Amino acid sequence: MIRRWLSLIAVRAALRAIGRVLRIAIIAALIIAAAPATLVAAIGAALAWLRGWPPARLYRAALWCLPMVAVWLAATAIATRSASAVAAAPYHAWLSLWHGAHPGSAAAVAAIAPVAIPVGLAAGGLAWAYRIRSMRTGTAGLSPDAAVSFDLRQWRHQARSARARIAAPGAIPLTTRNGSLVAGAVIRAVNHRGGPIASIPYSRMRSHQVVIGTTGTGKTTLLLRLWAGFMATALRRHAAGQGRLPLLVVLDCKGGADARRIADRARRVMRLAGARSTAIWPDEASLSLWALPPAQLTTTLVDLIEHGTGAAAFYADVMEAVVALAVEAPGGPPASAADFLARLDSGWLTGAYSSGEHEAELALIRSAARQAGDIALRFRTLLRRLGGGLDGPGGFGDADAWYCILEGTAEISVAEAQARAIVDILASYAASGSQDREILLAVDEFSAVSRRLPVWQLYERARSLGLAVQVSAQSWEGLAAGEDERYRIAATADGGIWLLRTPHPEPAAALAGTRRVTETTRHLTGRTPVWSHRGTSRMALDPVVDPDLIRALDVGQAAYIFRGGVTYVQVKRLVTAPAAVGPATAVTPPTAVTPATAVTPATAHAEPTLAKPVVTAKPTTASHRLPDASSLLDEAFGAEPAP
Amino acid sequence: MSVSPAQGAAERQPGRDAAGLLFAAEMYGLQLDHLAAVLGVGEARARSVAARWRGQRYAESARLGPGGPWTWVTRAGLATCGLPYAAAPPALSRLAHIRAVTAVRLALEAAPAYAAGAGYWRSERRLRARMGGRVGLRQHIPDGEVHWPDGTAVAWAGECWAIEAELTPKTTSRTVAIMRQLLTRTGDYGCPAAEIVAAGPPRHARVIYLCAPAARRTVARAREALGSSGARIEIRLLPPGAAMPAPARHKAARARSATALPPAATPPLHRGAAP
Repeated sequence: MIRRWLSLIAVRAALRAIGRVLRIAIIAALIIAAAPATLVAAIGAALAWLRGWPPARLYRAALWCLPMVAVWLAATAIATRSASAVAAAPYHAWLSLWHGAHPGSAAAVAAIAPVAIPVGLAAGGLAWAYRIRSMRTGTAGLSPDAAVSFDLRQWRHQARSARARIAAPGAIPLTTRNGSLVAGAVIRAVNHRGGPIASIPYSRMRSHQVVIGTTGTGKTTLLLRLWAGFMATALRRHAAGQGRLPLLVVLDCKGGADARRIADRARRVMRLAGARSTAIWPDEASLSLWALPPAQLTTTLVDLIEHGTGAAAFYADVMEAVVALAVEAPGGPPASAADFLARLDSGWLTGAYSSGEHEAELALIRSAARQAGDIALRFRTLLRRLGGGLDGPGGFGDADAWYCILEGTAEISVAEAQARAIVDILASYAASGSQDREILLAVDEFSAVSRRLPVWQLYERARSLGLAVQVSAQSWEGLAAGEDERYRIAATADGGIWLLRTPHPEPAAALAGTRRVTETTRHLTGRTPVWSHRGTSRMALDPVVDPDLIRALDVGQAAYIFRGGVTYVQVKRLVTAPAAVGPATAVTPPTAVTPATAVTPATAHAEPTLAKPVVTAKPTTASHRLPDASSLLDEAFGAEPAP
Repeated sequence: MSVSPAQGAAERQPGRDAAGLLFAAEMYGLQLDHLAAVLGVGEARARSVAARWRGQRYAESARLGPGGPWTWVTRAGLATCGLPYAAAPPALSRLAHIRAVTAVRLALEAAPAYAAGAGYWRSERRLRARMGGRVGLRQHIPDGEVHWPDGTAVAWAGECWAIEAELTPKTTSRTVAIMRQLLTRTGDYGCPAAEIVAAGPPRHARVIYLCAPAARRTVARAREALGSSGARIEIRLLPPGAAMPAPARHKAARARSATALPPAATPPLHRGAAP
């Protein structure tokens, strides 16, 4: 009995071994028989592995080969004039490869190529998709950590390919033909449509966006690219009669020398994108607070001053009343800071309202006469600290782009007041409707000055006025002072969230949501651990954005989160003209420019990708610049040392 | 008497000799390696040229500090060159600075773009001579000016640059003050006081700071403090060969210091006659 049982086991083992050998032999025979297609499939899959391509890329390549197949079949049909010969042409080509007069010759290979290449690419794509899927679900790999290693390796390959793509001249245009903005090359896409180039539709730039990334991660490069893309696309749309003139307003709330260097870069980038003029406030251009409508001017002026609470609220009321009297005096609103300060005097106010028709105002002036001096003192101090940048002349209509530098690091209270005033001027400009513009307000490190102008308030006002707001910060915490405000900002970012390397990406990453994945567990058997054929699979929810991946992003890499998906992008740096030094002559505010009418091709020094019709750049008085001499200095002394 | 090929070549090139003498006169004095670079010969040959100048009473040589001997132009040499400077050996306290400025000039003149732009170096000694001893207590004179004539092939034609070599860090406020003076000056050196800062374009389109590593941070801070006008200031590190060789006590120490110092190779000159 035992002998029979043992022999049965031996027979079963032998049959199983024979079956395996047969199966391997059949597969090998099929592979060899389909050698041309197999070879193409192997090369395709190997390339996909090496370059980190998704399988869809091989499928697309196979589809692009179909015209070749069609031409070949047509040629066969013309030569043979027989439908059956056309149908049998692939078989005959394959047969001649193995059994023809010259099997394996170049002619035989060429004959089978039209069929073998698309079939091989499609087969390679399927094999690559199977490999990815089995690694992702945990059903493949020799070691338990094979899936993790595979993913990391693929990330490296994908990042390398993306870097190579952005390094290729002309590979990454600033905008696509359909007007989308190109940020760079795609490294990896999850729940987003993949492709070699990462582009976002122009409409996203007309919605709120959030950009988070620490210093030195390429945030400025990304922002400059987005701004240039916005400007170039909007100008093209305007030239085609499809949109309004664009206006980009950047509030750099850090200030300092760095802000000025970025402003210089922004000016050059904007020039390449077709902007006629970029005003740098307050260094080279000014805005006029006094151009605000009287009621708005009163509110703005009162809000610029910090008030206490409790008993101090009384003084706030008195101040508002006096400011309203000064601003809305019968002679018209003040035209300058000096004019306004001169009005904060009971004698001046009495004289202005002494026509006999303003008894109520005169009574108010009499009761507030004691405080008028104090109010004047406070405003004199405030306006002196604000500087001449808000005392005019000038307005947002004078330039296509404004780069406003607020000294939020050095003088927070001044920067807060300036931010409040600038936003009020912009809101008034947008609401006036005198010049219909598509406005993008980009605020960098707004939390530095957000105490006096809560960002939600900015969002609400922007939404009502049709402005798009782009808020950028070095960290999640830098978005706003409170957690509620941060979530409110991020959750209302209809245009997407850009995440660069940041140490605490979890809150923003969580906004991308989760996706369903299959997790498989397998059993290890034996003393030498070998995978058994037993295991379990289950559905699980995996975060779409891996926070650890965000933490490990390299310089220039960004994750774009939008509607439950993410695209990892290698941002392409905009190549601009060399850095120019500042103006040698005294600077003057930019003069008003007339709407450009001429549409010409971009100039020769523009980035090749910008060689599309753009509105001619017009020189402004503020943009008298020195030529670049860094070539000589670099040659003689080397590049400027890093700080 | 036999004449070596190099000696013969130098004697056949009196123009180069004269250019070297003018260069030494403009820069207060030259150390041997820099003199060799100016003449475009080796140090041995430069030594013999200096000896010939000494013999003609055009120059004096002495070992004033570490490294090779210094050569400076005497009153007779200055008269021959037609330069109205007071003859004096280089001040010991300024040796390092003079050497650094000379290295800067040599590096700049070696760049092909300098020749293309027909750049013209106006030395500090010339600027001081123009002022005729009327240098104000806090008035700063740059270590050199480079003038770029109009109509040349370079983009910065028509500009005038101020050159500053910074070996040791000053205070930031002093550096800012110097930068501001250089950037706002409108008149030439030696002009009436009313024209030093007047209406019109500034004299120096840009200021080039060549810094030792120790001074770089202060200069960068000062530039930042200037705000937007700081964009007209370029900062670079001093070229190799700008530092004084460390004093060597004996042969072994000399050998060690030779390996520790950065290469003092001075680029060859592509320069015509001295200004």
